[in-house]
Amino acid sequence: MAEAVKAIQPGISSTAAVASPEIHHDTTVKWFLLGAVGYFAIVGIIALIIAAKFVWPQFLGTIPYFTYGRMRPLHVNGMLFGWLLAADMGLAYYIVPRLCGVKLWSEKLGIATSILWNIIILSAIVTLLGGYQKGLEYADLPTPVAVLVVIAWVMFGVNIFATIATRKYNQMYVSTWYLMGTILWTAFVYLTGNFATLLPGITGVNQANLTWMYTHNAVGLIFTPAGLAVAYYFIPRASNTPLFSHKLSMVGFWSLAFVYVWTGAHHMIHGPISQWLQTISIVFSIMLLIPVWAVVYNFIATMKGEWHQLSDNVSLKFLMSGTVFYLLTCFQGPMHSLRSVNAIVSKTDWIPGHAHMAVLGTFSFIAMAGVYYVIPRVFKTTLHSEAAANWSFWLFLVGGLGMFTALWLGGFWQGWQWNNPSIPFIDTVVALKPVWMVRFFSGILIFSGIVLFLYNIWSTALGSGKAQAEPVRS
Amino acid sequence: MLHKTDSNATWFVVAALGLFFIGGLLTTVVPPLIDKSWGKPFANADPSKGPTGKLVDYTEQEKRGYAIYIREGCKYCHTQQTRTLASDVIRSGWKGVPSPVSTPDEFVYDYRQTFGTKRTGPDLSRIGGKYNKEWHRAHFRNPRDLVPGSIMPPFPWIADNAQELDDLVAYLQTRGRAKDWRPDNDYEK
Repeated sequence: MAEAVKAIQPGISSTAAVASPEIHHDTTVKWFLLGAVGYFAIVGIIALIIAAKFVWPQFLGTIPYFTYGRMRPLHVNGMLFGWLLAADMGLAYYIVPRLCGVKLWSEKLGIATSILWNIIILSAIVTLLGGYQKGLEYADLPTPVAVLVVIAWVMFGVNIFATIATRKYNQMYVSTWYLMGTILWTAFVYLTGNFATLLPGITGVNQANLTWMYTHNAVGLIFTPAGLAVAYYFIPRASNTPLFSHKLSMVGFWSLAFVYVWTGAHHMIHGPISQWLQTISIVFSIMLLIPVWAVVYNFIATMKGEWHQLSDNVSLKFLMSGTVFYLLTCFQGPMHSLRSVNAIVSKTDWIPGHAHMAVLGTFSFIAMAGVYYVIPRVFKTTLHSEAAANWSFWLFLVGGLGMFTALWLGGFWQGWQWNNPSIPFIDTVVALKPVWMVRFFSGILIFSGIVLFLYNIWSTALGSGKAQAEPVRS
Repeated sequence: MLHKTDSNATWFVVAALGLFFIGGLLTTVVPPLIDKSWGKPFANADPSKGPTGKLVDYTEQEKRGYAIYIREGCKYCHTQQTRTLASDVIRSGWKGVPSPVSTPDEFVYDYRQTFGTKRTGPDLSRIGGKYNKEWHRAHFRNPRDLVPGSIMPPFPWIADNAQELDDLVAYLQTRGRAKDWRPDNDYEK
């Protein structure tokens, strides 16, 4: 058992996957990752515009297409589906064939999926700015576009599962489980949020409960397992160190599978939803500490004695700061669900601070680590600029920390003021202006990081035809 | 048993979906079967049982206004829930009268739930009857004319479109009106 586990670990360079790198074509990987990085920058502009609107509310304010209420869902959906999910899918197309020791089942199907994905994102931009949003958070895409997402997801799932079915190694590494889990759970979570919510007779609180099941699990059962699959693969790979514990990764995976889905109602604590359902969601939210602890302990213990590698390895920098943000964001989550804490932070600016630490600080950091690692390898070249990559990391880290802390402190203060009804509401808005100003300038740092990331990745890809010294071995 | 999932994909799929469906079904399909207030419109004629009133379905005009509310993404800055917090009850109140807490049976005809996650502007669950149409017209044209310091975007394409303004205001005036909570009955139209 122990030997078998060792053999499938990505960190150990003697595995058969490394012995025959030329079996992989990786065209799908390239298409998905280059597209995702492009959308990261495009949607980054939208993010900056809406951050600016908090400080200068008249900015682009008289054009219907550029009003806050239409750009905000575009920002959220663009980042979630255009950048992060596309990046995770691209990385899955890289990881799974390597862990299985075989080629991707169908490169043609992969390319078709990538083309369809681009059609989805472009339609999302047009329809959301046009005001055709469905009006359900994270499920804002109009139904025809949501149907295309389902088709693309089936194409992705068939390709990955068929690759796993033809695998050379019988035992599956933890990243493979997480990706299989992502594909299966996403199917049902997405259908719940986008289609079950629209069934006749599903209204009001019932619809809200289904929406929260989806919204919460879009993060918990789509981006979490996809991101953890990527981290479980690249932490051992980038540090060339075996994973600390296979058993602990099982504890983390199966507790996540069981616990996460119960917690949707914690988005309506103190709200018009049954008290007993709120209590169930609180209990399971606290239990989330188990899978989080199992994952974080495993990652940190893997790095034991290897921390010095961080100084000259950008992928590891992103991976380990992503791990720390994961621990923080997943400590916040259970705490928010406590009724007393919720009464202060719920609906305030604290919440976008928390959400950005999960989706940007944790899962985008992990995805960027993967992209920085994979792109030079699939193009058989070296990264265009290690220095620019290092700069992008520090811009993301400083900008991210600036944004998170500003929103936490500001949000907590805002909630404190709301709980004193003698303060007029408008005064609590005016009080937050400095916080939103800090958020905007932090956003400029983050956006600069995105631009450097885009420049570096695309230059690596475009420059790969030229002779380069010593391409990195995959 | 879970050890089998390590090398057997079929076992894996069964276990991963099985564990997921326990919580999935118990928290989505079961609750509305247990708590009937999720699907039964509010109606109460007995003052000793709390606020009186009756929830009625939207008119065609109110439905058009509802669609504008969705189209412009109003819910991204305005929640519609007076929570069980003392401060919410006072803030949703009017002229010293505290508002009743929001209950599931007030939202039965909402085909798109608008509870919201972020309160950048004030909560709108009891906005119905607080301001008249002229106030809303001026406010949509430029919110800062009426509320200095506001960061709400201007909506001139609604303020200058008589039909859309009428529809949207008609929708807003329904918010929180199922419960007759103001003793003077001084609701604006």
